[in-house]
Amino acid sequence: MSQRTERRGIHVDQSDLLCKKGCGYYGNAAWQGLCSKCWREEYQRVRQKQIQDDWALAEKLQREEEAAYASSHGVQTQSHSQSAAPHSGQATLGTFSKFEEKKTNEKTRKVTTVKKFFSPSSRTPPKKENQEGKTTSPSVSRHASFETDQVSRDFVDFLKNLQKPGREIHKQCRAFIINMSSKKDLGADELSECVQDFYQSMSDRLMSHFKGSSESVEQVMDQVEKYIMTRLYKSVFCPETTDDERKDLVTQNRIRALHWVTIQMLCVSMDEEIPEVCENVVKAITDIIEMDSKRVPRDKLGCITRCSKNIFSAIRITKKEPASADDFLPALIYIVLKANPPRLQSNIQYITRFCNPSRLMTGEDGYYFTNLCCAAAFIEKLDAQSLNLSPEEFERYMSGHASPRFSSSESNWLHPGSKPGVTATNPVLAQLSDNLELLSSLSSRQESLMEAAKNLQADLLSWPESVQQEVHDILEKYPLEILSCKVSAIDANNMDNDNLPPPLTPQVFTG
Amino acid sequence: MAAGGTGGNSGKTYSFKVVLLGEGCVGKTSLVLRYCENKFNDKHITTLQASFLTKKLNITGKRVNLAIWDTAGQERFHALGPIYYRDSNGAILVYDVTDEDSFQKVKNWVKELRKMLGNEICLCIVGNKIDLDKDRHVSVEEAESYAESVGAKHYHTSAKLNKGIEELFLDLCKRMMEMAQAEERLKGNGASQSASSRRGVQIVDDEPQATPAGGCCSSG
Ligand SMILES: Nc1nc2c(ncn2[C@@H]2O[C@H](COP(=O)(O)OP(=O)(O)O)[C@@H](O)[C@H]2O)c(=O)[nH]1
Ligand SMILES: [Mg+2]
Ligand SMILES: [Zn+2]
Repeated sequence: MSQRTERRGIHVDQSDLLCKKGCGYYGNAAWQGLCSKCWREEYQRVRQKQIQDDWALAEKLQREEEAAYASSHGVQTQSHSQSAAPHSGQATLGTFSKFEEKKTNEKTRKVTTVKKFFSPSSRTPPKKENQEGKTTSPSVSRHASFETDQVSRDFVDFLKNLQKPGREIHKQCRAFIINMSSKKDLGADELSECVQDFYQSMSDRLMSHFKGSSESVEQVMDQVEKYIMTRLYKSVFCPETTDDERKDLVTQNRIRALHWVTIQMLCVSMDEEIPEVCENVVKAITDIIEMDSKRVPRDKLGCITRCSKNIFSAIRITKKEPASADDFLPALIYIVLKANPPRLQSNIQYITRFCNPSRLMTGEDGYYFTNLCCAAAFIEKLDAQSLNLSPEEFERYMSGHASPRFSSSESNWLHPGSKPGVTATNPVLAQLSDNLELLSSLSSRQESLMEAAKNLQADLLSWPESVQQEVHDILEKYPLEILSCKVSAIDANNMDNDNLPPPLTPQVFTG
Repeated sequence: MAAGGTGGNSGKTYSFKVVLLGEGCVGKTSLVLRYCENKFNDKHITTLQASFLTKKLNITGKRVNLAIWDTAGQERFHALGPIYYRDSNGAILVYDVTDEDSFQKVKNWVKELRKMLGNEICLCIVGNKIDLDKDRHVSVEEAESYAESVGAKHYHTSAKLNKGIEELFLDLCKRMMEMAQAEERLKGNGASQSASSRRGVQIVDDEPQATPAGGCCSSG
């Protein structure tokens, strides 16, 4: 064969060219002398081993955590686990395998490890979730525990890259969470103090480990915050020891009472008649509302930052220049008034108490957060003067006796000469009056419908009567004479009778 | 509270927060846009916003991350000042040299800042718009002697002509670094670290804080 001669020509022993596994196929230097099939197998084996090693480590870390948790929570956990463990365990497993289905290929071995990792007997956190979440519905607590699991997994994944220090960090965090679980009765400030002390000591250690590279430290600290705050969230967000909840209600009612405040009163430089601006305003409102659904302080900050950036876009489009603080703060106040974000005070307190301080002090997120605090404070203290209104006007709007929409003193944003309130230049007001018109036309249509229904009812009621009358009249006209109709006279009115042959008569034959 | 410095001894990076305070229209936004973007009254400025800007500096081999916080200058927001300036390492108090009133406002800010933050903050008093010197209504001598009397430094700037702005920020950064180093030394000497130094937004602590004598603000 020509191939063979060629090889001989360059003095290569044929055995060198065959697959090192001895399967008989040719190998390839790029595949470390293996054939494609053997190479694939080998590669998979190495990869799988690595994946398995990773998970063995994760499992080990997790077991240690549970052991530590159980020893600190001994009796309570055990007695509780009898009732709760099977259910919560199944729930976790169920949710998890569903999640796992989504992932593709090469996972068969991993899945078994992972399932073991999350099997009922080796899980503690879901039980903890159950204990705390007595009042939450099963689906909520299942979701929460799934989220917690996911975060723990991500954390372990992240720390694996750091090798030995990663282990140490995990240990510290675990110990801290366990320690915190015994401090549930502490006041909010003490809890905050504990968490902040932990951040401080952790970042000091990291700083010396990374030799002063603050980026690396920040990266790890973000993960640490995510891990511990996801776990502590339920017990430290709006805790019963504070009056956060009462303040939330006060703020919520306050914002409701201020529903009449217009964009003009706040001197906001956003023109909502521009569709793009309007879109940004809606997005900003959505972002700030979303904040309440996040658990990690940094994620909450992320919502505030997104909200702020949408406001900046809106201002930029309106003013055609970058937004300064003079533009931004009034706009943010306006957005907060429009959104009435759920549990605003609790969220502000939570971020203040539990966020990694370096973010809040100098970072961009911190700036937007500070402005949100300012907006909340402004709304709380807002009075006639803050809106350039007379105290009487303010009182009338607050009490609902007047609305700026119909007030002549505010005619600068109403078309002069036209009926007040019908052709408002403000798009929101315009939409409002459109809606009102629609509503009133609806109500008149409803009225005529009701009228028609009543007529129909009356008609229906009189109908049987009239039918009866009719029947009666007819009966009167053509009285029924049952007697005159004789059954025996079947052929009584047969006109052709005479033409018929006479009836056959019996003939008598003799003989 | 001024210890914005982080890091080991070698590759240290300082992070400082500086607030801009002053009446509306004195030129706060113009100053910071000139400093960070080198633009003035420019309709083609690409930044989305001019309320939070950062600048990285390298001063005598030390890295400095400067975060400049613009504040809403309208009178109705005055009461919100403390929320903005808590945890600041420095404050830039701007007035318009052609506007006597705006200088009076600066004096009010100084009083308030000293009351709330003591000597833990580096103060800069800035007379802006010196290109309009012919309309000057605040005398140079008066402004400078006032600044000295309250332990602040005085600068003259023009955002329009880009005058005095680099010097202002560079000088301020150096002073904030000195202050941070002094606090570190204090820490190193075994003085207990004040709880507020690491605390993000926990507000004022009432205990009078021992500040290093000869701090940056009093040393020329
Ligand atoms: N002539 C002059 N005008 C200035 C200077 N700095 C700012 N301005 C103008 O003063 C007005 C207010 O400036 P702005 O930066 O918005 O002030 P802020 O309200 O304090 O932020 C604008 O019209 C600027 O163009 C300056 O140095 N010289
Ligand atoms: Mg401004
Ligand atoms: Zn092979």
